[in-house]
Amino acid sequence: MKVLCDRERLREGLALVQSIVPTKSTRPAIENIYLAATDDALELVGTDLEVSMRYRLDDVKVAETGTALVPGRVTADFVRDLASDTVELSTDGEHLTIVGGADTCTLSTTDPDEFPTAALVRFESTGALSIQGGNFAKLVSRTSFAAAKEQGRYAMHGILTLVEDQVLRMVATDGRRLAVASTPIDDTGAPRRAIVPTKAMQAMCRVIDDTLEQISLQFSDNQVGLKTRAAEIFARVIDGEFPRYAAVIPAETSKTVEADADLMAKKLKLVSNVTTADARAVKLTVAEKTMSIRGRSSTSGKAESQLDIDYKGEEAEIAFNPDFLLDGLRNCETDLVRLEFNDRTSPGKFTLGENYIYIVMPITADA
Amino acid sequence: MTAAAPDPKILHVDMDAFYASVEIRDRPELADRPVAVGGTAEGRGVISAANYPAREYGVRSALPTARALQLCPELVLLPPDFDKYTTVSREIMRIFRSYTPLVEPLSLDEAFLDVSGCERLHGNAETIGRKIRSDILRETGLVASIGVAPTKFLAKLASDLDKPDGFRVIRGPELREVLDPLPVSKIFGVGERTAKRLESMGVTTIGQLASKSRDEVKATFGATGTWIHDLAHGIDDRRVTPNRVEKSHGKERTFPEDVTDRELLRRCLYDFAEEVAYDLRDRGLRGKTVSVKARFWNFKTVTRSKTLDFPTNLGPRIFATARELLERVPAGPLRLLGVQVSNLEDVRTPVQTGLFDDGAAFQAPREDTRLGRATEGVDQLRRRFGRDVVRPASLIDAPDERRGSRDPRP
Repeated sequence: MKVLCDRERLREGLALVQSIVPTKSTRPAIENIYLAATDDALELVGTDLEVSMRYRLDDVKVAETGTALVPGRVTADFVRDLASDTVELSTDGEHLTIVGGADTCTLSTTDPDEFPTAALVRFESTGALSIQGGNFAKLVSRTSFAAAKEQGRYAMHGILTLVEDQVLRMVATDGRRLAVASTPIDDTGAPRRAIVPTKAMQAMCRVIDDTLEQISLQFSDNQVGLKTRAAEIFARVIDGEFPRYAAVIPAETSKTVEADADLMAKKLKLVSNVTTADARAVKLTVAEKTMSIRGRSSTSGKAESQLDIDYKGEEAEIAFNPDFLLDGLRNCETDLVRLEFNDRTSPGKFTLGENYIYIVMPITADA
Repeated sequence: MTAAAPDPKILHVDMDAFYASVEIRDRPELADRPVAVGGTAEGRGVISAANYPAREYGVRSALPTARALQLCPELVLLPPDFDKYTTVSREIMRIFRSYTPLVEPLSLDEAFLDVSGCERLHGNAETIGRKIRSDILRETGLVASIGVAPTKFLAKLASDLDKPDGFRVIRGPELREVLDPLPVSKIFGVGERTAKRLESMGVTTIGQLASKSRDEVKATFGATGTWIHDLAHGIDDRRVTPNRVEKSHGKERTFPEDVTDRELLRRCLYDFAEEVAYDLRDRGLRGKTVSVKARFWNFKTVTRSKTLDFPTNLGPRIFATARELLERVPAGPLRLLGVQVSNLEDVRTPVQTGLFDDGAAFQAPREDTRLGRATEGVDQLRRRFGRDVVRPASLIDAPDERRGSRDPRP
């Protein structure tokens, strides 16, 4: 193969694909990027066997079609550091030559047949769902922070993605907090449901470069595919049982508090400075028009802060991990955050925007 | 690091032959005879404490009782009565605390005290030491050895120098004079192996160690090297820390005869688990890691541990985990079995609650919450009527076997 491309476009494509390519794998072939030059385009494919990405560069001059499997990291790094406007990629037998202006690099390649064929699938447009790229990315950022990070709870390592009743909904939880966000979509197909690994969701967001662009989303038995103008991403879905999240969202609450989201975040951060990693808790006490935030640690001391709130009712208190609250407030889309709860042992429900709620379980002492 | 301050402020109080002395106090007719507290020779017990007449025969703690009786056939062997020792220990600790709040108990009969700032109230460290010694004698009838020095290491060394009934003050200026002639093995952290390696470097006394360069000792022994070199210079910045947090709590037993029968071993584990759990609750603690220790007939010892998703102080939970761990111990005759719970925390530590009782593993399951409530009631009964007042039905028909002390069933 022999292709001439715009350096910046190629750099961008390689960087995106390389972001999912593992640097070390028991299957060395996938440490490479698969290049395919067709009559009018150059495609770059990378995979870590869970997620695969195909990125297409259109405005290229193909002098000779063909395929090659090239070392991912070196290729991406070399192209990134070139200064020329254009780059020529050419293969001859077992080598890839990269030429940019007066600079050149020759790399050993691997037999393209060693690249997993599963990673070379194509997006199936029939029955796909269409949604604005920005809306999709927003749902991911509204939820992904609540997904489980620690080992062990497999089904919670992904974002539950649901399509039902003209709504696309994403849900993420680590068992202690839960974020649910949804957006209306134009769809009349059957309900669809998949747990998509958080990492794959984030890769999908990275390829959405135009938030106004309509993207396509396809659910199949064991994978979810996403297609933008330039990229296709396929993620193997998590085969596990997602907790029954709807049941933990409190339907009725006796206390409703409204506070300035930025101010509450600042005060929480302030007070959390005295709490320690092994006892990360702040106590919120709400009274008529005022919220007190208290934190203490047996080693460093205690702190207290107050802010004005909108609340009517008797005094009540509830304690939370301040980091969980800050994660939510950081994503709050409205100036005011609403907190609803019943008592110190039941979940706190935060409304962070339209169709966006965040449930946080309290911290109790001597439960 | 701070060099040894000239003012001795730290006391190390060590009761002389504590268990044995308590027994002799209650049975004065034994005073001049060699007396030891420990398990029986038949039960393969070991000596826990020996009085000074017994020590003249070479009887010391940790010696197998059988061997002790060989060394001293007229030895009076008494079974240990830990409840009694604990009571006496509390009295002693109370005396310490009447002088300073900075008391760090090391065991039932040993503690460090920091008396900085108590001078105006009680006099200087030496005066306080002497008062404490007479208080202990007057209130408990027991004799203590006391070391007074600027650091923990020196204080402990000092209490040992004139034992029994010792009282020794080490002041800054006499540091070298005291330390130099002592063998390196007196340094905390120098065991048999380190002592041998030091000897090959031509170092047998603390004075010789102190004269080596710090870098040389560090190069040979790493971090331990800097530590022992500092101690050889009398440098020890460890503070006296009251409320030293307990790191683990466990129970183990050496069987009178090796036990192979897994059913018996499981019953043993049940017993240990219940006992450990009760102690944890009693201390207001709970733990997350359960370990089982098994020593085979040939002294090969294995431990198996598991960290739970949530901390517990409930016997059945500890037992369930311990039983699982026992499955991972290779088959074979065991001479010792033990259960330990570590990763401890205060029960008042705030708990992050979970959203899903079914899926969230870090939260104690509902059944544990219910069991916890039931246990509170049982604990009240136990405190009134003794630990064995409530026992599982499965153990009631086998009263002899629950201690794992009989032959396995045919």
